[in-house]
Amino acid sequence: MSLAFDEYGRPFIIIKEQEQKKRVKGLEAQKANIMAGKSVARILRTSLGPKGMDKMLQSPDGDVTITNDGATILEQMEVENQIGKLMVDLSRSQDFEIGDGTTGVVVTAGALLEQAESLLDRGIHPIRVADGYELASKIAVEQLEKISTKFPLDKDNLEPLIQTCMTTLSSKIVGRCKRTLAEIAVKAVVAVADLERRDVNLDLIKLEGKVGGRLEDTELIDGIIVDKDFSHPQMPKQLEDVKIAILTCPFEPPKPKTKHKVDIDSVEKFETLRQAEKQYFDDMVQKCKDAGATLVICQWGFDDEANHLLMHRNLPAVRWVGGVELELIAIATGGRIVPRFQDLTPDKLGKAGLVRERAFGTTKDRMLSIEKCANSRAVTIFVRGGNKMVIEETKRSIHDALCVARNLIRDNGIVYGGGSAEIACSLAVEAAADKVPGVEQYAMRAFADALDAVPLALAENSGLQPIDTLTAVKAAQVKEGIPHLGIDCNDVGTNDMKKQNVFETLIGKKEQILLATQVVKMILKIDDVITPSTYE
Amino acid sequence: MSAMMQPQIILLKEGTDTSQGKAQLISNINACVAVVDAIRTTLGPRGMDKLVHDDKGTTTISNDGATIMRLLEIVHPAAKTLVDIARSQDSEVGDGTTTVVLLAGEFLREAKPFIEDGVHPQLIIRAFRTAAHLAVLKTKELAISIEGKDREDRNQLLQKCAATTLNSKLIGGEKEFFSKMVVDAVSMLDEDVRLSMIGVKKVQGGTMRDSFLVQGVAFKKTFSYAGFEQQPKNFEDAKILLLNLELELKSEKENAEVRLTDPAQYQSIVDAEWNIIYDKLDKCVKSGAKVVLSRLAIGDLATQYFADRDIFCAGRVAEDDLQRVASATGAQVQTTVNNLVPEVLGFCQHFEERQVGSERFNIFTGCTQAKTATIVLRGGAEQFIAEAERSLHDAIMIVRRAIKNQAVVPGGGAIDMEVSRHLRNYARGIAGKAQLFINAYAKALEVIPRQLCDNAGFDATDVLNKLRQKHSLPSGEGAHYGVDIDTGGITDTYEAFVWEPSVVKVNAFNAATEAACLVLSVDETIRNPRSSQPGDDGMAGMQMPGRGRGGGMRGRGRGMRRR
Repeated sequence: MSLAFDEYGRPFIIIKEQEQKKRVKGLEAQKANIMAGKSVARILRTSLGPKGMDKMLQSPDGDVTITNDGATILEQMEVENQIGKLMVDLSRSQDFEIGDGTTGVVVTAGALLEQAESLLDRGIHPIRVADGYELASKIAVEQLEKISTKFPLDKDNLEPLIQTCMTTLSSKIVGRCKRTLAEIAVKAVVAVADLERRDVNLDLIKLEGKVGGRLEDTELIDGIIVDKDFSHPQMPKQLEDVKIAILTCPFEPPKPKTKHKVDIDSVEKFETLRQAEKQYFDDMVQKCKDAGATLVICQWGFDDEANHLLMHRNLPAVRWVGGVELELIAIATGGRIVPRFQDLTPDKLGKAGLVRERAFGTTKDRMLSIEKCANSRAVTIFVRGGNKMVIEETKRSIHDALCVARNLIRDNGIVYGGGSAEIACSLAVEAAADKVPGVEQYAMRAFADALDAVPLALAENSGLQPIDTLTAVKAAQVKEGIPHLGIDCNDVGTNDMKKQNVFETLIGKKEQILLATQVVKMILKIDDVITPSTYE
Repeated sequence: MSAMMQPQIILLKEGTDTSQGKAQLISNINACVAVVDAIRTTLGPRGMDKLVHDDKGTTTISNDGATIMRLLEIVHPAAKTLVDIARSQDSEVGDGTTTVVLLAGEFLREAKPFIEDGVHPQLIIRAFRTAAHLAVLKTKELAISIEGKDREDRNQLLQKCAATTLNSKLIGGEKEFFSKMVVDAVSMLDEDVRLSMIGVKKVQGGTMRDSFLVQGVAFKKTFSYAGFEQQPKNFEDAKILLLNLELELKSEKENAEVRLTDPAQYQSIVDAEWNIIYDKLDKCVKSGAKVVLSRLAIGDLATQYFADRDIFCAGRVAEDDLQRVASATGAQVQTTVNNLVPEVLGFCQHFEERQVGSERFNIFTGCTQAKTATIVLRGGAEQFIAEAERSLHDAIMIVRRAIKNQAVVPGGGAIDMEVSRHLRNYARGIAGKAQLFINAYAKALEVIPRQLCDNAGFDATDVLNKLRQKHSLPSGEGAHYGVDIDTGGITDTYEAFVWEPSVVKVNAFNAATEAACLVLSVDETIRNPRSSQPGDDGMAGMQMPGRGRGGGMRGRGRGMRRR
């Protein structure tokens, strides 16, 4: 921090630890900030689109992540720079809100910053640039609304939903079986969706993965998979038409919470106590039996005596099932969670068509799957894959697809992908810019140029001539007046995204443009950065 | 030289730093001016933001004068008064914190040449006080009352005030949207606007426009136990029960111990405990409530019990949220489940759990006596929402002030120019030195429009000259002219609806003058080396290790100051 001196040449100590703080002011600060933002965006640029590349990230403790998902990359990079962190936040909030398009939003923001830099060089006031961007973003969003189409949301015809999810998945590592995965995702979302309120609680979809098998073996289970096995190895491995007792109490004599002590002063008393304990076990099993349960799922453990007894009385049981899973099982099977044995009644039992233990290949791992449930309001997507990294990436990809499907249920507007929406917006903003008096005009033109960054990156990543391709498509859009011409990334032979069935959600796109503008505005408004220089 | 012969008298502790006289006064002024320079660029709609990064790694991006001043961690004793006036302006009126600091700095800057020329500071102080008094009177005279309008009109006017405040902030692009939200929120409350009744919840994700106002209460889903998902999440005409007790299986008394001699009695103790909790739960259910909230935990047993009976429950609700629910729905917080008469239950027309971003929110709307509102803020980054919250706080304060004190003055520097002109006129009628000082005061006031122009990149001199000309028109028609931030010219800011509540300006003039006079009246600082460090709050602790070696250096550097 620069020191101030008075007339007598004495320095002021105005601010705490003045000499240890770094301070960047004015245009210099803006330039430095833009630089930081741009370099973050540059990293993600190559990940965009169906031909985008993946990044491999190694965490300090040696875990390796391979991903194509913008939010994940940025989060794992552990960006230190303050402005870089803003970009990370940006992609994270796109992830929170929409779940998809996390790369696109950062690329757009980076392009906006790049354009702003040249405007600042011309001496345009940063706030005027920000104002211009804001105006332009409004026009872009209007244009998006205009070119969007609605499709009827119909439980029987899920094709449009599946197509949109496929667009999301096509850029991921799992692109080759995108059809299967998209179908799984859509079915899962529709199963848990509350179509009347247009509300989807993604907590009800469980993503479970297991190394081994092929990606194609990934399946949707109308029920729950838990990473547990039956408590006794001799219990049957497969049960049909199961009635499940879901317990949150341990299989052991109940303990009062109040501090207690039993005084045993004679042999008889000891005997009675032992008898009583035994009686408890007996009663508990009996109560489950009486209620008609054929399977017991217990949140807590039970000791060997109980285990033996259960085995003996032919009542399969699972122990140590976590609270969340327990809840999902209850929802899926339509059962009630029972807090003590006395409350167990037949109508509180959950029903499932099939419960079986799955063994995988030659490994000893077993999982318990509860399938064909009475009420499939809770489902599981069971992911298989060659290694842990693939499974993790598949889970992330499916999460993206789930979010897309959820957004479509919330708002069924779609726009066409392949950069076509961006090009259409860019054209609209360009046209509107000419009508705006003042410096903002320049900012709006810059905004239009920045919007081209997404199709440019798409073309570049697909190995096409970026500028040639973009200009060709742009010219075609203007000439033919159809807004769904985009970059032909997969070399199908047509630029018509409608024919290629490349869709994206309208709210996702809108959010991308608005969020990017917002963050860029924030960065442009900063003219003073004060940091403790020891903080590196 | 005669002192050499006398024995030296040690008055103060060794190492004490004393500086006095004119030099000290000027040094103080310079320090204040240096601080003001740090925040001067944040003024006005084209003002910039500051990014302050502290050693704990938290980042704040702000445009709010008080916030920046606080984060700068100023230790200079004289400059600290500026932090204090910014803070007092913040707590008194909530807005204009940059203005007040800027004004104080400018008063000092104007006073400096006089001090250097040997004028006694007290004379300046007296003149400044008179000037401030006149300025306040003039502001009050110029204020335009917005009283007596009907509700619709009044809300329109209040929105204008809120929009002026928000103009300079990061969320300025959406000022219509937010000013409406703020006015709606404030007008939902009763006369005595308590700030705690407006809840602001921050949810990352989404854009600013996704922010929304809930005419009632909203809070984030609390920690829930298994069974929660089986509860219904949507009620119409729900009755609400608020509790401040644990609904869990627990020992009733901490230090009680049960002694059993007969194992057969064991079950009875277990049953007794279960009965206690079941009895409690049963009473809750019997009360007819459909939503049960508790400040303390609601255990898994209770969650499942309620789920079985189609009741929604949430435990560990934050205190202020619970209070807001209480005041919104008319429920009374109960500490026992005995005697749950219908009167203690609250009522709301609609309750639901809804997804907001990646969070789920419990939302109560259509409350019987909605004396509370909740603003759910959305935004791209954490710092963004934090700044938006500060901006909304300012706007809420302004609207609140404007309701209480229904007079506004034109903004954009118009009022400052007019007061300045008035003071100049007044000064002409004074014989004596005070004339100069009041003129200086008047000149200092012009800093507001000048800074507005500077920040926007306009030619300040040009605009100021135009403004002076307008304001000096004898007809008085130019009194409302201020800086037009869009074109770089001047405009009637009253017509352009750039309004500020007059109380903001009055308070700013008073506080800035007070601070300037305070600095001017100090002619000696005595800094005790040891006690100053822990005493100079904020400077303690953190400062010590970092300064360990530098401390000696600095001590010597300051030693020079002693004469």
